[in-house]
Amino acid sequence: MRKNHVITLAGIMAVSAVLAAPAFAEGVTINVTTTYAGEDSNAQNFKDSVAAWEEESGNKVEDSSATSDESFKSRIITDFEAGSEPDVLFFFNGVDSNQFVEQGKVVSIDEIREVYPEYASNMKDEMLGASPVDGVNYSVPVNGYWEGLFVNKDVLNAAGVEVPTIDTTWEDFLKDCEAIKEAGYTPIAASLQEIPHYWFEYAIYNFQSPQTHNTVPESVDDEYGQAWVNGLNDIKALYEAGYFPENTLTATDAETFQLFTTDKAAFLIDGSWKIGGITEAVDDIDHFAVVNVPGKGDRKTTDEIGGLSMGYYITRKAWEDEEKRDAAVSFVSFMTSDEVVSKFSGVSATALKDGASPDVSEFNALQLSALDYTASITGICPAVQDNLSAAAREPIFADMASIVKGDVDAADAVAAVLEANAE
Amino acid sequence: MGPSIYKNKKRIWVFLAPAFAFMVVYLYYPFIQNILNSFMHIKYMGTAGGEWNSPWYKNYLTLLSDPKMRIALKNTGITIAATIIGQVGIALVLSLLVSNIERGSGFFRTVFFFPIVVSATALGLLFNLVFLYDKGMVNQFLQFAGVLNREANQLIDWKSKYPMFTMLTPVIWQYVGFYFVILLTGLAGIPEDLYEAATIDGAGRWQRVRYISLPLLRGSISTCVILAVTGALKVFDLPWTMFVNGMSNTWLTGTYMYSKVYSDVDYASAIAVVIVVIGVILSAAVNRIFGKTEDFQ
Amino acid sequence: MKKKKIRFGMIVVYLILILWALTTIFPLCWSVMNSFKNKKVIYNNSFALPFGEAFSLENYRNIFANYNILSAYRNSFIISGSVAAVVILLAGMAAYILCRYEFRGKTLLNLLLYAGMMFPIYSTIIPVMRMQAKWGIVNSSSVGANLLSVILPQIAGNMSFAIIVLRGYIRTLPVELEESAFLEGCSMFQTYFRVVFPLCKPSMVTVGIFSFLWSYNDLFTQMFFLRTKENWAITILLNNIASKEGVNYGALFASVTLIVIPVLIVYMFLNRYIIQGMTVGAVKG
Repeated sequence: MRKNHVITLAGIMAVSAVLAAPAFAEGVTINVTTTYAGEDSNAQNFKDSVAAWEEESGNKVEDSSATSDESFKSRIITDFEAGSEPDVLFFFNGVDSNQFVEQGKVVSIDEIREVYPEYASNMKDEMLGASPVDGVNYSVPVNGYWEGLFVNKDVLNAAGVEVPTIDTTWEDFLKDCEAIKEAGYTPIAASLQEIPHYWFEYAIYNFQSPQTHNTVPESVDDEYGQAWVNGLNDIKALYEAGYFPENTLTATDAETFQLFTTDKAAFLIDGSWKIGGITEAVDDIDHFAVVNVPGKGDRKTTDEIGGLSMGYYITRKAWEDEEKRDAAVSFVSFMTSDEVVSKFSGVSATALKDGASPDVSEFNALQLSALDYTASITGICPAVQDNLSAAAREPIFADMASIVKGDVDAADAVAAVLEANAE
Repeated sequence: MGPSIYKNKKRIWVFLAPAFAFMVVYLYYPFIQNILNSFMHIKYMGTAGGEWNSPWYKNYLTLLSDPKMRIALKNTGITIAATIIGQVGIALVLSLLVSNIERGSGFFRTVFFFPIVVSATALGLLFNLVFLYDKGMVNQFLQFAGVLNREANQLIDWKSKYPMFTMLTPVIWQYVGFYFVILLTGLAGIPEDLYEAATIDGAGRWQRVRYISLPLLRGSISTCVILAVTGALKVFDLPWTMFVNGMSNTWLTGTYMYSKVYSDVDYASAIAVVIVVIGVILSAAVNRIFGKTEDFQ
Repeated sequence: MKKKKIRFGMIVVYLILILWALTTIFPLCWSVMNSFKNKKVIYNNSFALPFGEAFSLENYRNIFANYNILSAYRNSFIISGSVAAVVILLAGMAAYILCRYEFRGKTLLNLLLYAGMMFPIYSTIIPVMRMQAKWGIVNSSSVGANLLSVILPQIAGNMSFAIIVLRGYIRTLPVELEESAFLEGCSMFQTYFRVVFPLCKPSMVTVGIFSFLWSYNDLFTQMFFLRTKENWAITILLNNIASKEGVNYGALFASVTLIVIPVLIVYMFLNRYIIQGMTVGAVKG
């Protein structure tokens, strides 16, 4: 009986393998992998758009999307190695894509345009997200991200502090933090142990400008390296001043986020994707807003972190398959059309030439403040950490606790990062 | 014992081959790749090995002087001791008690199993709330009991003051039920006539436990100790959920390896090799210790 | 006098057992309880009872409305049931030989056995994936093939544990029964399947329960090999629901509940077989 089970399974497998091939005589089935899964805020939009495309084109989509995390990334990379990659892939355009770009497993936009001149013609080429490998465009982005300073207005009121504006400087920000602390609140909700990433970006950005931020230093001693060291020391100063939660070195990010949503902490730097999380966690969204992170030095308060970090790739495998080529191109074109992108983008940035036109009638107070925020941005630059491999990030991000406590010197940590990155 | 019936060994491979074939294909062969990987430089998880490290044993050299690895080994040693004494010890007591009660044994057998089926994510969340800094269960209780000053909202940061205790309590607690079930199964295998004979000879409850249950449970206890040792070397999910990135110096070999799995593939492979080697040595030692004493009965 | 003493002892015994039981019941009740609250209520007070306004079916409604949960349960049971069955069958035979026979290479096999339990899934998954991709059972258009690509590695993954537990159990069995079977002219196969296998039932059930459980909960392997919705097993389906940026606690607890319940049913059902052989002598005072 037990043995039979396995044999049956093997049987099913063999039979259906034979049957599967000619099963779809009409239309083509393409394999698509994206990160629009789980409760990604666009998961439903994606589903609907796929259905619409299937309806329109008569083709079918085999959807193997999954929530993006490290194991998802390695699954994708192994798929490429093993030759079982999807036909269309929605994936990161930073260092995570280096492997399959280097191996020529995806098709460049220029190559596609030789056959389909209109491909991605509604996008600004310089914003497509060129590969770090060769500076060539391979992917077509949908919507981007930004990072900003979320504020809890109730806490600010209670502490007698004004909501920061585009004129607020870093100095002012420090004074505000002191006032908030005096009033018995936590100024900044952050778990330095788990997610120091956002603070790292903005703290070093303060010593740089949108033109220079996205550069990995050559050495600790060069201009960029010094910016990193100074930025880390600023985080250390914030820690020493007691502006982070008392247990910021042991608390989880969920714990410190809760301080923010339950009126115990005033500020939170996070990404555009956090809007949904805040909306769901609080009773009155009107008391929350997102504003510019106060700046100092060369960085203006209106210079922010943001970009388009993901896009649709067409794999070489699909491109060389006569049957699938058309379908893959048609699918990506559909998913990156002005209409679909506007639906996906919400308050985030896009690469559309004509700009996105999201439906603002249903926006809540936080989303509306996000529109104001994005409108105020004068300079934007992607997060520099996306240029670092996971191994290279570690000496700073996994060891932030040691850095702020003074056990590890900031310059040594930066040197360790650069050394790991050079490998 | 008369092992004469086990003399004919011609066909034992028929029994051994299927099980080991599975392991050769799905474990040993892949792990040989892992061993090779530990001598190479590998960029991303999922890519084939690039070039050899120079010197080829570079990762192992780094491991020797890696302070985090030292912390991990020390903590894992503590964890092994704690799991043997805590998990297997508590499980042994509980299983003996449950096997000696008349009513409700079915109930206890069921509820003791509960923690094993709940995922590490959910348990991590729960214990994060139990040991939470502000308004955590333990701190609230201590304030209520007057150990901490409630007026001044005096609090203990468990994760930084008593990290090992805070981490090991849930880990040990979760798997007691696992060893409990194995030991209970072992108890079920003891022939009842042994107990009956002892009762007729006037042995009391304690004596029956001491002279029948415990010696005959040796095989199961040895199994439990082996599983506890290897489990302690491997465990990472629950500790990782509660103590991300080895905060407060809580690295274990399992969590340390996990932290490198995606970021530093070849180094993680080297840690895996070390974990396996230590595990095999300790398991063989446990098996030998228990195997020997068994012969003396 | 003596009776009183025993009663007092029994009270202590029950007290200890009940205390431990409280600690093990609590987390499960807590998870189930929170699965009936929406996110906001959990954030604010996870220990409050879900009554009145706090009560919400939102989490479950979301899961049942949007996902084919029955197909996921079916896939899970096919996978984990096959894993448990094959593991019991093959591990039992190997354990018997490793326990009773002395032969050259036994020490090596023992060491390999321990090693087999130690290999982290992270260090074996990539070669396994390449291998199975070559065989065509990864990302296949057939559900059966995809399930098989999870079943096979999981069988191997549970094998060492199963052999070690069964070996420990067989060690406690008296050899006399096997000897008399031998004297009656039974072959190795007959001795094993007629004498040893039935005696091992409690331990086989234990091994079956844990193999089932680990296979069922093994998100990592499922994540690599079950990609499309029709292939999803329950754990990966619910993980997809519960995983979002940050954590959606409500969905998480609803998924914990939905994952746990079938396993508990299987456990309670099989548990009787473990105890079947439980000694009467030990129970009666």
